Amino acid sequence: MRTESVVVRYLALRAAPFIQLYALYVLGHGEDGPGGGFQGGVIFSASFVLLALAHGWPFGRQQVNEKVADILAPTGALIFAGIGVLTMLAGGAFLEYGAFAKAGAEDPEAARLAAQHIGLIGIEAGVMITVAASMAILFFEMSRPPRESKGNDA
Amino acid sequence: MDIVYVVSVVVVLVGMLAVLKRVISGPTLLDRLLGVNVIGTKTIVLLALIGFLADRPGFFLDIALAYALINFIATIAVLRHFEARFRGRASAVTEEEPS
Repeated sequence: MRTESVVVRYLALRAAPFIQLYALYVLGHGEDGPGGGFQGGVIFSASFVLLALAHGWPFGRQQVNEKVADILAPTGALIFAGIGVLTMLAGGAFLEYGAFAKAGAEDPEAARLAAQHIGLIGIEAGVMITVAASMAILFFEMSRPPRESKGNDA
Repeated sequence: MDIVYVVSVVVVLVGMLAVLKRVISGPTLLDRLLGVNVIGTKTIVLLALIGFLADRPGFFLDIALAYALINFIATIAVLRHFEARFRGRASAVTEEEPS
């Protein structure tokens, strides 16, 4: 059941993409500001909560494909662990991003820092995917309208 | 310049106290909701001011933006929760809140 207020419905529809954009901003600034993967994921899924509140549960559910969300949740964890294993394959410890640095770089310290940035953003992206998908799944499963049967939703 | 920010913080805090009085005393549900919403808006300003006081405006403005988003969503969520109570009434604003 969606709201009768056209203001809330219009605003929710227009604000949702900007909330998702802000989630990506929070993800990107996790190193030198407040934020990171978890916060970015929560803000990302908040846009779906807003859509479900303003346009009703079925509309919100349509925005998040159930199967895609179920697949994305473990995929993020896989990215996290996968980067850790990749660093081990590159010769470092688990999640030691410095191992990604090119061996023959003219400035080893700068190369190591750049590799650390890339690795950090990678695992943060994995965390964000997992958190966003899990939060969306949690919200939509807990707020499922009681009269709707389980296999009936799009 | 710091004294300007300190005075602004005090003014905003006094304003929040004034709105808090409305939140506590009501008398209707919508008064309280509006009061909570105004306190949330003032908190955003407060966060920005604290950011300038701490000389890290970028850091605190990020938090203020996220707070604004959550405040917006929370207000809509609470209003949706009480929507059924308002439905069918001529004016929910003038009526006393049922206990």
